Amino acid sequence: MHADFPLPDVSWEPTREFWAGAARGELRIPRCDACARYVWYPETPCRRCGGTRLTWSTVGGRGRLFSWVVVHYAWIPQLSDRLPFVTGLVALDEDPAVRLATYVVDCVPDRLRCDLPVRVVFRPLRFPGVAREVVAPLFAPGEA
Amino acid sequence: MPSLSTVSDWGFASELDDVGGEVAIVGIGDADYSKASGRTTYEIAAQATERALADAGLTPRDIDGVMYVPFSGDQFDGRAFHAHFGTSHDLWVSDKGGGMVWAGSAPYDAALAIRSGRASCILNTFSVAWATQRSQMVGGPGHVHAEDLYKQNLEVPFGWFPQPVYFATIARRHMYEFGTTPEQLGAIAVACRRHASLTPGAVMRDKPLTLADYLRSPLIADPFRKEDCCLISDGGAAYIMTSLERARDLRQPIVAVLGVGVGNSRTGAYWSQQGAFTSTPQVFAAPGAFTMAGIRPADVDVLACYDPFTIVSLMQIEDMGFCRKGEGGSFVAGDALHFDAGTLPYNTHGGMLSHAYVLGIAHVVEIVRQLRHRAAAQVPDAAIGIYGGYTGPQASTLILGRH
Repeated sequence: MHADFPLPDVSWEPTREFWAGAARGELRIPRCDACARYVWYPETPCRRCGGTRLTWSTVGGRGRLFSWVVVHYAWIPQLSDRLPFVTGLVALDEDPAVRLATYVVDCVPDRLRCDLPVRVVFRPLRFPGVAREVVAPLFAPGEA
Repeated sequence: MPSLSTVSDWGFASELDDVGGEVAIVGIGDADYSKASGRTTYEIAAQATERALADAGLTPRDIDGVMYVPFSGDQFDGRAFHAHFGTSHDLWVSDKGGGMVWAGSAPYDAALAIRSGRASCILNTFSVAWATQRSQMVGGPGHVHAEDLYKQNLEVPFGWFPQPVYFATIARRHMYEFGTTPEQLGAIAVACRRHASLTPGAVMRDKPLTLADYLRSPLIADPFRKEDCCLISDGGAAYIMTSLERARDLRQPIVAVLGVGVGNSRTGAYWSQQGAFTSTPQVFAAPGAFTMAGIRPADVDVLACYDPFTIVSLMQIEDMGFCRKGEGGSFVAGDALHFDAGTLPYNTHGGMLSHAYVLGIAHVVEIVRQLRHRAAAQVPDAAIGIYGGYTGPQASTLILGRH
């Protein structure tokens, strides 16, 4: 486990561009050079066609709340001060098979439902005891 | 109308030879099941093995094959077997045994080894000391996931971790797609607890649970309550396999391996990306096992599934074909899973929710006990029983029959 856990290691090559994009306010997802499908998680060979090269692209940041959980217990000790929080999966409009794990923010948990339209917002992630912060793509209800 | 997350190409069945009727389980042994006990996995497996040998009427020198899984502490491999029993004879050793999916598929690999003469009498063990090791990130069930770099960089920073969160997300989607209710998930927890209350050695034997208790329990990973989640335990079990022919000379009623199936998910342990989000690879495992055994789900008298969470039980019951996909909620409601209700007796020892979290090995032992007609919560005249193994990346279906 790296020192800044549970922050991501933004230098880890397979997801480096995802985090670099977030720092610029862009949601970046790779596509397979061979079949042009989005590939998530960003690993090769492509699960669908076996392609071995990926090229990162920028997506619009809109999707649907695929499913979510309201977490009341700190399985990750560094998250204890944000309980309860809403974490879940967002299916991207460009390809709903791409599901991003994310926090759902600016929401009333009781009003969430599956397939609710959501849009990306970029916010810094900070955890107690970790000096660094990392800007991450989070999602909030809304079509905008 | 919700959009369904089911697709058909998200996984596949492993190609298996027909081994139906070739081997039998002739000895079973439970180690002591407990909360934190200070025991090691080695000690636990050794105790289970001694009891399985005694049950079968065999000696350590009769065992010429040892199966284990290189996972979670020191498992009982060939070296450990010899060290414990002071033996030195030749052993066929396989690391495709243990618990989880392998508690169901080990009899397949054992059958091939016995068929080819590499071994004649094979021990499979699995043990955990996670209650003793209890520390959420080190050595416990979340550890392997926390170590995965994709999870570390794309899930953990967003609080999407560990397993209770993964499976609560799946449960929410199942509720949305199919109308599954908390009362239906609660029915699974209540049935398992009732069975544990009847089972000597079950960790939750003296902790009764009603549906009203379940519904009053606080949400820890909404939609999950604590009672939707498995225990963390110390314990383990062992079983011994040999040819059907040799089983006839041993002391126990014969419980034969009738069918085995293995299914695989193309997205492995990345549940977030699984194509059919509300399914398990039982979709791919069960059909082959039923074909090998020559039976249908309606022929099954007792079922035990690897049950880390209520929703995993419900999905496997659907995916094995005991009801149609999406109808699991109404199928399990009320007392349908109770051992004496006559519908589908399920996890009759209490499962991982209420007996002990020993990752499925005790489920196989319980099915054998049911088919010997010596279980605590005995299903009358049980003749065919199934274990459904699960890891996420894989599922297995093991069909056993009283011979």
